[in-house]
Amino acid sequence: MIVIQTSHLSRKFNDVMAVEDLNLEINEGEIFGLLGPNASGKSTTIRMLAGIIQPSGGSARILGMHLGKQTEQIKPDIGYVAQHFSLYSDLTVSENLEFYAGLYRVDNAQTLHKQLSRFELHRYAKSIAGHLSGGYQRRLAIACATVHNPKVIFLDEPTAGIDPVTRKDLWDLFYELVSDRKTLFVTTHYMEEAKRCNRLGFLSQGKLITSGQPDEILASLDNYRVYSAELPYHPATNRKIVAATGVILVNQFGNELRIVTDHRTSQENLESVISAGIDTKLKLEQVAPGIEDAFMVLTQDDGKKCS
Amino acid sequence: MQLIIALARKEFLHLRRDPRLIAFILLMPLILVTLFGFALKLEPENVKMAYVDEDQSVFSNLIKTNIWSEGYFDLYEVENSMEILNEIRLGRARAGLYIPRTFTAELVENQQPVVSMFIDGTMPSLATAMDNNSTAITDDSVTTDMYFSDPEEPAQIIADDPFLLEIKTLFNPDKIETWFFLPGVIGILIMQVALILTSTTVVRERENNTLEQLLVSPLTRSQFIVGKVAPYILISLLDFYAILGFSWMVFDLPQPGSHGVLLLLAITYLTALISMGLAISTISETQQQAIFISIFVLIPSILLSGFIFPIEAMPGYIQPVAYIIPFTYFVDIIRAILLKGNVLSELIMQFLALAAFSILFISFSIFRFRKTLT
Repeated sequence: MIVIQTSHLSRKFNDVMAVEDLNLEINEGEIFGLLGPNASGKSTTIRMLAGIIQPSGGSARILGMHLGKQTEQIKPDIGYVAQHFSLYSDLTVSENLEFYAGLYRVDNAQTLHKQLSRFELHRYAKSIAGHLSGGYQRRLAIACATVHNPKVIFLDEPTAGIDPVTRKDLWDLFYELVSDRKTLFVTTHYMEEAKRCNRLGFLSQGKLITSGQPDEILASLDNYRVYSAELPYHPATNRKIVAATGVILVNQFGNELRIVTDHRTSQENLESVISAGIDTKLKLEQVAPGIEDAFMVLTQDDGKKCS
Repeated sequence: MQLIIALARKEFLHLRRDPRLIAFILLMPLILVTLFGFALKLEPENVKMAYVDEDQSVFSNLIKTNIWSEGYFDLYEVENSMEILNEIRLGRARAGLYIPRTFTAELVENQQPVVSMFIDGTMPSLATAMDNNSTAITDDSVTTDMYFSDPEEPAQIIADDPFLLEIKTLFNPDKIETWFFLPGVIGILIMQVALILTSTTVVRERENNTLEQLLVSPLTRSQFIVGKVAPYILISLLDFYAILGFSWMVFDLPQPGSHGVLLLLAITYLTALISMGLAISTISETQQQAIFISIFVLIPSILLSGFIFPIEAMPGYIQPVAYIIPFTYFVDIIRAILLKGNVLSELIMQFLALAAFSILFISFSIFRFRKTLT
């Protein structure tokens, strides 16, 4: 069943197209990840879908209901976790939860209790929300946004600024929600999180560049090769590699140099360029492309980028 | 020093990013000082005076003509002496004049007839001013032609004054300043609490990003507004009675004729204030702006409401301003019920005005508060 469907959804702020011609279909029970750099239009998209920003073009249906015409009917069925901590920091954890429960006419003490333990918040029930650590604030925000048992949950960068251990815990929570047949729409700019999603969309400058399952997206990189070499940062050589024909992307990870190329060059060619630069024979190793490679290649405009 | 300059410079940068605030800092004092400079006078001209002249003689006309020519009182005629009191009680007149039927008869007999003047004591400063201006009734230009001597007898020393003026101060006969100020002060204190509390309430949700979370919920606009208004009405109501109770105990403020009317006043006044605060909150971008706008509303409310400075003392083109201030009606009603003993049916217009403010501001807030961002 298709839960979220957008058709040519667009939003213009003054003269800037924040989101342009977005077409998406998201199925029930999946985690859809919208990936994109900062200012790519992720938050605008999610806010439009949550009904708090009006689209300037196109349309969307959530759970079969028309966004805009039936926004108020959609609201009880969706949960939304904003990017910034948007709870009452002077209220306690349970006061926050009770308040949001009240907004959705949930007054069952058992539900609240379950929600607290599900998000491991019961120990902090009496703590002031503003005093919680970033990870627990995020848990509380998600607990509040899902207290009414919504069918669709929108999470705007739920793991931004969160340490890897807590991030993993949060993702465990997301999987638990999905196992309840809920649909999650997540935005992130963490590439390593992309693989955790069932399906992905790449957003760049407001446009959807590609979408599909992570494997499908990686498979679309068949025309590209990714090489890796043990080589510390060497500015002059890096510049030479970037300038070489067929090189799409040069990316330094500590002592690892990662190069993405298309068919116009070969491993031998590259090796000779590098060897000439550093005066030593260097062996490149072809590796499997990752999501980050895919993202950077696919969102690349005409010019090459060296990062 | 360099560090201080760095910090000071940053403060200016903040200000520059908030053009509305700059407007408030620079324009507000200018607007207010202009307004008050023209508006505020303690001494009114044309104080309304209801009169009954039962004598209708040359002599009683002499008194009226002199009052007219002095220009301080603005005379108008009513049916009978009861009407004079009623006009003052309803606030249509500040003073009254009664010339009895026997005036001329007693005058020619040198019996020193008594002319009564009534003064509204609810505004002691005005009462004192009217008191001072009562000389228009008794000064020489009136009395010169009122001395009579008996043609049969040699000239005899007659009474100093041909007639006597009896001044009766109504409603607050001792002109107790506290009674005059206190009801208004209560209104001001409540206005301050209610405005500042409510004007920051919506904008705070926006500043703390919590508004977004409310917008995605099924909460409707009206529910949001009413839910925001109700708790503050309750809090200010408690506050109102706390201050009033204290004033009754410590300052011996008179009790109202009807506690029901007082409660009705409290509720309608507070609702108007809190709706106004809410309207301010929906147009403010930051809490700081909200507080500035509240003060911008608060100061003219105090000064132009007729609380201290009589409205009739203001120039005609500024007087309408007084009637778009909720506090004006509050002061009017509370003085009427605490000092003059007016009943509800006599205050309907003022109550309707307060209710109109609430409806206006609440509708405006609901209209302004959109369920979407930007």
